[in-house]
Amino acid sequence: MSVKYAMLGILAEKDLHGYELKSSFDEKVGEFWSLNYGQIYSTLDRLEKEDLVTHDRQVQDKRPDRKIYSITKKGRKELDEWLAAPINRVRALRDEFFIKLVFTGTDNPGPVLDLIEKQKALYLRQMNHLTHQKIALKKKAKDPAALTTELLMDAGLFHAEADIKWLTLCEAKIKATLVKK
Amino acid sequence: MIELKHASKKYQQGGREVHALRDVSLNIRKGEFLSVMGPSGSGKSTLLNLIGGLDQPTSGEIFIDGRPLHGISDDELTLIRRRRVGFIFQFFNLLPILSAVENVSLPILLEGTPFSEIRPKAVALLEQMGLGERVEHRPEQLSGGEMQRVAICRALISNPAVLLADEPTGNLDSHTSEEIFLLLKSLNEQGQTIVMVTHDPKAAAYGTRIITLKDGALSEDISIGGK
Ligand SMILES: Nc1ncnc2c1ncn2[C@@H]1O[C@H](COP(=O)(O)OP(=O)(O)O)[C@@H](O)[C@H]1O
Ligand SMILES: [Mg+2]
Repeated sequence: MSVKYAMLGILAEKDLHGYELKSSFDEKVGEFWSLNYGQIYSTLDRLEKEDLVTHDRQVQDKRPDRKIYSITKKGRKELDEWLAAPINRVRALRDEFFIKLVFTGTDNPGPVLDLIEKQKALYLRQMNHLTHQKIALKKKAKDPAALTTELLMDAGLFHAEADIKWLTLCEAKIKATLVKK
Repeated sequence: MIELKHASKKYQQGGREVHALRDVSLNIRKGEFLSVMGPSGSGKSTLLNLIGGLDQPTSGEIFIDGRPLHGISDDELTLIRRRRVGFIFQFFNLLPILSAVENVSLPILLEGTPFSEIRPKAVALLEQMGLGERVEHRPEQLSGGEMQRVAICRALISNPAVLLADEPTGNLDSHTSEEIFLLLKSLNEQGQTIVMVTHDPKAAAYGTRIITLKDGALSEDISIGGK
């Protein structure tokens, strides 16, 4: 679930209290998720239980203490692993991959380009399997429901193709900005 | 069956050197349906032309069935080209003044065999590809999918060891393309070795093995496929 990783990504840059964390979340990935404070704090609680995040108390005059959250070593490790791993679910690509792009950053494009390549290979492999499943289906089935299944498979193939094309464009554009620098 | 050993190809382009292929080593097995993916300009056609003996590597070696494509005479190379490989292209490359059956027969006609001798086999191939009603049609009277099927028949007429396809559906709509791929797939299932280069992932997915070219170098090799 990427909300968790988006929060880890934000805390990896800087320690923040809950309110600042929400602002930063909205700014970076608000287009994909709108979260309320309740969700922010419950996610933080869970991250603390998993030892991925910890907090310090900040004493304030006449007001209740504030908690400043920071990412732990374990949290950083888990974030890095998530950032480097391609996504398995075909349709989830756009959103989740975009979040990865945001937090991997394109200043140092090596890891992003690696990720894009891995992601493309994974999609191609999936398309390869799906195509062969489709061929097998076309060979045996004469029942009318088979057409619906085939068309669904086609949809899967077109979507995966679009994602590969988009990734190829990402790759080309990231490389082009590199050349300019 | 086809082996490339450190094959490189450089072109001179307006005083500039273009490295179209960089040190490609590759083993293509008999019965394989190999897809070669890569963006435009990555060297796909160059690779195919080297395998088909249409062009020579600047360095490195290529073998078909253990026989080298280098250090042989032009006549021998021409013979390999005619007998061992069949080519299909994006724009079909059919001769407009010839009928379907004449186009299919052409590679063998060029060797001096009389048309009457080749014709039955050419017709049988056309029928096998569902073109029984199109035997005497000229290319302009055929649809794109039909033209490509004629071109496939022409490529198969000499029982080539390998069928080489360069973006074979680059010019066709999705449904017609799928029919061509299914046809190539069924040829492959009957044992035909196929090498297809394409920038289209949907096309590449028909292969039993997919390799990717990047700036002339081999960058990824996915071998899974359904058998
Ligand atoms: N006959 C040629 N003369 C000069 N340059 C060539 C020739 N053929 C190909 N090239 C160059 O070699 C590179 C690879 O081309 P090609 O193999 O056609 O790539 P692809 O088929 O993947 O689009 C390109 O940069 C292209 O411009
Ligand atoms: Mg080409």
